[in-house]
Amino acid sequence: MSSVPRRSPRLDGQHTGSSDGDVIYLRVVDADVYTDWESVYRDNVDRLYRLMYSRVGNRPDAEDLTSEVFRTSFGPLRLASSKGEVRAYLLVTARTVLASHWRRHLGLAVTSIDPARDIAYLAEPPGSEQPSDAPLRTGTILAALPDRYRRILELRFLETCSIKEAAQAMDITVANAKVLQHRALHMAAKVALELEQ
Amino acid sequence: MNSRRLSAFVDALVAGRRSGNLRADPEDADVLRMAIALRASRPGDAEPDEQFVSDLYEELLDQADSRLSPSARPVKIRRGRTALAAVAASIALVGGTVAATQAITQRPVAPSALQVPHGQILRTATFETAGHQVSGQIVAYRSHPSWVFMNVDVPHYAGTIFCRLRASNGTTVDVGKFELHNGTGEFSRSIQVDVGRLRGAELVTSSGSIIASASFA
Repeated sequence: MSSVPRRSPRLDGQHTGSSDGDVIYLRVVDADVYTDWESVYRDNVDRLYRLMYSRVGNRPDAEDLTSEVFRTSFGPLRLASSKGEVRAYLLVTARTVLASHWRRHLGLAVTSIDPARDIAYLAEPPGSEQPSDAPLRTGTILAALPDRYRRILELRFLETCSIKEAAQAMDITVANAKVLQHRALHMAAKVALELEQ
Repeated sequence: MNSRRLSAFVDALVAGRRSGNLRADPEDADVLRMAIALRASRPGDAEPDEQFVSDLYEELLDQADSRLSPSARPVKIRRGRTALAAVAASIALVGGTVAATQAITQRPVAPSALQVPHGQILRTATFETAGHQVSGQIVAYRSHPSWVFMNVDVPHYAGTIFCRLRASNGTTVDVGKFELHNGTGEFSRSIQVDVGRLRGAELVTSSGSIIASASFA
């Protein structure tokens, strides 16, 4: 018997249903695949963490959610899938995990993951550690605010000052700092919405 | 959500704590999202902790049981240079200078000064021990405000470490202190120092011993 298949395999790898006993069917596999679970984890853990961190803004929650995505995904995940398929699956899982997190804690989906839009977080080329334009966008929003609004937000969110420290830095009372922060956040949110339009 | 609850949410974010449980109204979503975006854009905080990465791997290893090779153990992921470049990039982007991002990501982290537009400057240097062992990197970025960021890897050291900047005229400025866990740690802070006049930086133990120093070009 010849070792050469009598028929060419289908490129999509699907069985044709032929009854030929010695026809060899080959599944065409994307060369860009993960070979083991460790490589799935190591290739995606940093990226998935960054995505979660950008959505919750604190390390403990980002770690919990990243962990939950991997715990949930690793059971049903098929290693024979391409890297793109694996990442898409991780991303879809991440969307569900994040939605569940907000439902439990705020009863409202404050942030979300859109697999089509956010695939860049997981699929960017190696070495590109900043797939998001978030810092640039934040800088643009801050630049659009009045000086005092910008300053209170910089002190609080970028320099992580307590409200008391921020008040001292701006030479205002703590009560005034809270009011200023409240108004500044509302205006920043409004600017962000305008930028999206 | 009233302003008191919003303040509590922001306080937790600023302190790096969990946001906790509270009921938010739909009209609060934009403001909460803004607060999260601002906090998440802070340079240096978006990288996962190496201990977390290792611990989760171990947990998944147990969960996967036979699916993972028992001999496979996490290789400590050395993110030093790329992470530092990313942080420097985010510092530059928050400052509004995209050009700095391109400059830092295209060059190795080594003693250097990268000129960027509008009078801003990005300077990097490598921490070395007295025995010339590389033990971290530092980035200083002049903007409004100016920033310094460093990552440190001093094997077998745990505890508080102090960072001191040296100016070209010989004066020193204490920038702050941070904790090393398993010999590693990261630190960032805005500074009131002319970055263009910095000569170097030192990492000092609580007893005053210098364990590593860096010289800006």
